[in-house]
Amino acid sequence: MGDASGDRLIRLDMSNQTAIVEPYPEAWKLLGGRALSARILLEECDPSCDPLGPDNILVLAPGVISGTSAPTSGRISVGGKSPLTGGIKEANAGGNPGQDLMKLGYRVVIAKGKPADPERRYAVDITADEVKVIPADEHKGKWNYTLISDLVKTYSKTASFISVGPAGEMQLSGASVACTDADKHRRPARHAGRGGLGAVMGSKGLKYLSVDPNKRAVRKPADGKAFNALSKKYTKEYIAGPGQEPFPKWGTSAIVTEANNLYTFPHKNRVEGRSPDVETLDGMRIVESFEERGGGMHNCMTGCIVKCSNIVHDADGNYKTSALEFETLTLLGSNCGIASWEDVADLDRLCDEIGLDTIETGAAVAVYMDSGGMEFGDASGAKRLLKEIAEGTDLGRAIGNGADAIGRRQKHPRVATLKGQALPAWDPRPLKAAGVTYCTSPMGADHTAGLVVDPGQAQEDIAQASQESQILNTAIDASGFCQFLMLNLEEIGQFYSYFLGESVTREQIADIAWQCMQDEWEFNRRAGFGPKDDEMPECMKQDAIGPAKFVWDVPSDVVAAAYKRFEARDELFTQRPS
Amino acid sequence: MPVVEVPSRYRIPTQGEGQIEVDARTVRECITAVEARYPGFEELIVDAKGGLHRFVRLFVNGDELARDALDTPVASDDKVAILAAAAGG
Repeated sequence: MGDASGDRLIRLDMSNQTAIVEPYPEAWKLLGGRALSARILLEECDPSCDPLGPDNILVLAPGVISGTSAPTSGRISVGGKSPLTGGIKEANAGGNPGQDLMKLGYRVVIAKGKPADPERRYAVDITADEVKVIPADEHKGKWNYTLISDLVKTYSKTASFISVGPAGEMQLSGASVACTDADKHRRPARHAGRGGLGAVMGSKGLKYLSVDPNKRAVRKPADGKAFNALSKKYTKEYIAGPGQEPFPKWGTSAIVTEANNLYTFPHKNRVEGRSPDVETLDGMRIVESFEERGGGMHNCMTGCIVKCSNIVHDADGNYKTSALEFETLTLLGSNCGIASWEDVADLDRLCDEIGLDTIETGAAVAVYMDSGGMEFGDASGAKRLLKEIAEGTDLGRAIGNGADAIGRRQKHPRVATLKGQALPAWDPRPLKAAGVTYCTSPMGADHTAGLVVDPGQAQEDIAQASQESQILNTAIDASGFCQFLMLNLEEIGQFYSYFLGESVTREQIADIAWQCMQDEWEFNRRAGFGPKDDEMPECMKQDAIGPAKFVWDVPSDVVAAAYKRFEARDELFTQRPS
Repeated sequence: MPVVEVPSRYRIPTQGEGQIEVDARTVRECITAVEARYPGFEELIVDAKGGLHRFVRLFVNGDELARDALDTPVASDDKVAILAAAAGG
């Protein structure tokens, strides 16, 4: 076995601000990321607990392969009971904290409790020799970029950071958890956005964690020769194949036109599937800006070969934000009727600063606009609104608590949420299998849980397509690999086998993912979820889009079929993420 | 006649048809001929300037067509396949 045999875990009790390091259980050897988070939450967290109370658990779990030399493998999962959905939640992010934790042999951080004084702030310093909770009151209320800019002055150059902004401190349901980039600026630009897990971190008084691997090398596989050969082979094939495609070259924002063509570029609170502003929101405008303004594409984590993250500069050539993604351009742009990618870049920076999920926040702003609170397309008003979130005004808090919260405040019925979480850009009306994922995934409406971009699918195929995509994406989110590396289950099994020095088959990888989903469904069942929580919102059934008049019209028994495991076919093991 | 093979993703305008025979002499004419029968198809493949959308790739008898070669001639037994290259985001 490789150096995994000395692995440890960190337990934080934020009620008394203590940290304990324990050996990592052998039983969890094959679990990482989302699968590890699900197992811990099912075993150790009362599903009926208050998400913002002391009994909720915040899990920070890198994937099994994180910290190794495998390409694009350093993602970290953030888990807990979501204040947004009321169910189990996992959101993951790039950056370097995941692989830095793993280089130190820390497979997971498990935080329980909360300080008696909610006004106090704490940090956790993690090194090879010590894990300690320290006071951090001087950082209270800081926006993410200011916080990290202050921290890099005092911490080692090798440290990475996990933090929350004011939204997390205010425990708003749309709050994200930020991780720092790989580059020298260590910007807090990688966010575990969905489900309000920043609020869970904030509820525990945690402002940030620092992880300093110092000069620790990457984790050693049990079969280093085979592992490195596989990494090299896959890297070569990726660069010659999927890495040649426009998406890795230009980032996710370049898919705007394709999404618009397929009627899945929602406009004005999703009443239309296409936007008249597609040209000015197209990510190619961002790519074109690189030549004159600087910026460009970069890797968010050490060892990434995808490099899909853009760095966006303003007209004066100064850094503005990173990464400006397709989902953000859709929810904070088209869906709010905002036509300029530069305005969306400003909004994206504000979300990263305040610590907010851009999808939930964009959906909430659009609901507010649709309710008459503000004109669609009012970019200045939207920026003002986001600043109100940081200021903690009544309106700002409602926006920061997500689409459902602002819908209730405005008494506005058109709110596209499922399990309390806003639908992402990929629209379930043309993309039925993606809709089945939104209905059945324990994560709620989350495209990263199992996206299928295929409006032409026959109804009899969509439940299986959704389930297979959910299994694949769950497996990837447990491994630490980025979905954009486009590994299949077979290849993930090979990486596991060579790292651990024992055979891990593609069937085992699928079983681990399925067990993870079952753990999560069980958590949600104990939290009180039932069939009514799988219902697509009325607006998706009534507001038709496109000449084909797409509505959500998938019968509930077809949706429910995704809960029963289909017999595995070869496509399950060889398909790559959409 | 040449056959245009339409991937599932682009079959909404073609009403589910995946194999469409067309009377055409070039690849571009193949696309135009499908559009004539199934309005709404061409805009999925070709942009406003007449070039291929950046996420679309075309293959003639299995060989990928250069992005600026839409006017390549096709023979009566040729197959023009369309690949939707990427999603995600």
